[in-house]
Amino acid sequence: MHAHRCAQVDEMTLDTYEVIALFAAVAAILMLGTTHLRLNLTFYCLHTLAIAAETAWISYLSGEPQHLIAAAGVLVKALGIPIFLGWIIRKLDVDSDVGTYLPAPLCMHLGIVMLGVSYLLSNQIPGVNGDDATFGATSAIGILFCGILLMLTRKVAISQIVGFLVIENGIYLFALTQTRGMPLIIEMGLLLEVLVAVMITGLLLFNIKKSFEHIDVTQLTELRDQ
Amino acid sequence: MKVLIVLGILPIVLAVLSLLIRNAPRLRLFVAVMHWVQLALSIWLLLPLLDGTVPAVVYSPGLMLDRLGAMFVILTVFVIASASTHAVCYFAEEDIHRHSEIPSSPMRNGVFYACLNIFMLAMMGVYFCDNLAYLWMCIEATTLSSAALVFHDRTKNALEATWKYLIICSVGIALALFGTVLVFTSSQRGAFPEGSLNVSELILRANKLDFVLLRLGFFFCLIGYGTKAGIFPMHSWLPDAHSEAPAPASAVLSGALLNCALYGIWRVYQVILAASPHGFVNHVVPILGTVTVVAASIFLVRQYSFKRMLAYSSIENVGLMLVAIGLGSGPLFFLQAVNHSCAKVALFLLSGNITAACGTKRLNKLHGILKTTPLWGGLLALATFAVTGAPPFGAFVSETAILITSANRNHWPLAVLLISAIAVSFIALCLHIGRILVGQAKPDCHPFQPMRSSIVPGVLVVGVLALGVLLRLDTLVKLP
Repeated sequence: MHAHRCAQVDEMTLDTYEVIALFAAVAAILMLGTTHLRLNLTFYCLHTLAIAAETAWISYLSGEPQHLIAAAGVLVKALGIPIFLGWIIRKLDVDSDVGTYLPAPLCMHLGIVMLGVSYLLSNQIPGVNGDDATFGATSAIGILFCGILLMLTRKVAISQIVGFLVIENGIYLFALTQTRGMPLIIEMGLLLEVLVAVMITGLLLFNIKKSFEHIDVTQLTELRDQ
Repeated sequence: MKVLIVLGILPIVLAVLSLLIRNAPRLRLFVAVMHWVQLALSIWLLLPLLDGTVPAVVYSPGLMLDRLGAMFVILTVFVIASASTHAVCYFAEEDIHRHSEIPSSPMRNGVFYACLNIFMLAMMGVYFCDNLAYLWMCIEATTLSSAALVFHDRTKNALEATWKYLIICSVGIALALFGTVLVFTSSQRGAFPEGSLNVSELILRANKLDFVLLRLGFFFCLIGYGTKAGIFPMHSWLPDAHSEAPAPASAVLSGALLNCALYGIWRVYQVILAASPHGFVNHVVPILGTVTVVAASIFLVRQYSFKRMLAYSSIENVGLMLVAIGLGSGPLFFLQAVNHSCAKVALFLLSGNITAACGTKRLNKLHGILKTTPLWGGLLALATFAVTGAPPFGAFVSETAILITSANRNHWPLAVLLISAIAVSFIALCLHIGRILVGQAKPDCHPFQPMRSSIVPGVLVVGVLALGVLLRLDTLVKLP
């Protein structure tokens, strides 16, 4: 009986990197709950900072200092992208996104439910449920779901970009916790692609604002089969 | 490695020059000539691979080219060279008679050509990648660089199409990245403690990989790259982007980019085939391909826009290529790709001529092309037959080979569905194109340079005809 309880207590003890990963997931869920774009970007910044810390911590644990470069790359993403998108928000003069089908609080609770679902899912992945990687996978898949929810339920084009970035962070976190980091050149290439994608979509936003006088993507329905 | 540098240097130089040269007509001519130089260079450098004396060349870890890849590289450069040659007279006409209110500028032209060259580099890169992560990067780079091509007209519709294209494809490709990570994990849990993404290594030790993770990874890659290829439930961006881009860009998107995305699926599928040659996954791919063909043929029946109709025909051909991939036959995949690419490029270029001359893309407003410009009309009819797989043309041979092979593998229901869908789309396309060809000619249709603007489509149609005459069906069906 005693041994059993010990095992249970042991299971519930979280390592530092699991705490950081879960923090990133919580920040992503909080993003679902805010309709204010600037606050949303702040949460995105926190969420990505957590992932940068996670990268640094895991590179310290695994004794591979070259992954600190990857951590620095994520740091660039955590600071550069919110600044760039914040600049766009100021230029375009939009500040909130009321969402479409789901109200934000409901969406946040759905995000929490999805985190539970991703816990169940991550236990299904072979090799994960063995020792220590479950919470990493849980947060990663949870973040992935949050990003998808963000893209599906928001109206303003900026939220779509942020949703895509959250999805990408989830995938990155999954790679980080499950494989202890992909080869460095791949991570760098990925970072470059994401930065370029944000640049291009960001600049496209100005054109959308200029042509349509709004950036509500649900109203972009001119092209249809008719 | 030298080969890679030589092949990569010209597109980069051209991209830089495109932004520097301010004289638009001269730039167009220069780029078109240089693309043919690039084609000649590629053929010359890849000749040992093409004639089969060398099965595959490893340039460095993660970069490798086999015979199929080499043929696709040639096809890609050929498609781009054809499109940029036609673009010389297409854009010259557009400069004079623009239907849009936004004036053309040297800057816009420069951006178009710079992005076209980077796009070409990224598409060529796809075939050189042995490493699945590099492959992913190249395919994402194709999305980012081609966004400027779709946005070229700067209209509201072009903007909407570009936005949808970027967002839908980026999310799709993100899923493919997740799939790639899963394949990496499966290699780490299995044969490679360090992890590997090199397809050539993964194939060799495929039965030691963690199969559950590998299969999951393959499904994500199939959905991700499938979005980019326009496979049925994820195709919604494709008709928008292909119809709103200027004609040469639509031709490249349809004739070269779709092949790239399918090649991504083919690479991952090779690992799956090596790991379990007779598994459940091996039925999913041909079924998905067939569903795509059937759906596209149904969409083709009710069409209102000329270029959207051609885009749906591309989706149909993507389905056929996916069936060929599902049958595990690289040669059939390439054969269908080459026939579709040539015919579809000819069709898109002709559609560009006609819509620019008549000022509309609506099918119900285009009539009597045979009377106004018999040359365009005749080529349009021939190219339509070529793309739908009517007998003397190459697509007939490749489609028949795909049908016979799938029947030989006991995929009878699929073969029957494919035949009916191909028949439906043949009738639908011929009816729509027929309405464009005959009838009362519109008075406000001003054809431009009918001879010069027919050269490239004409050569392509003759090429597909030659393929159809030269290819022997009986040898193809026996292919592995």
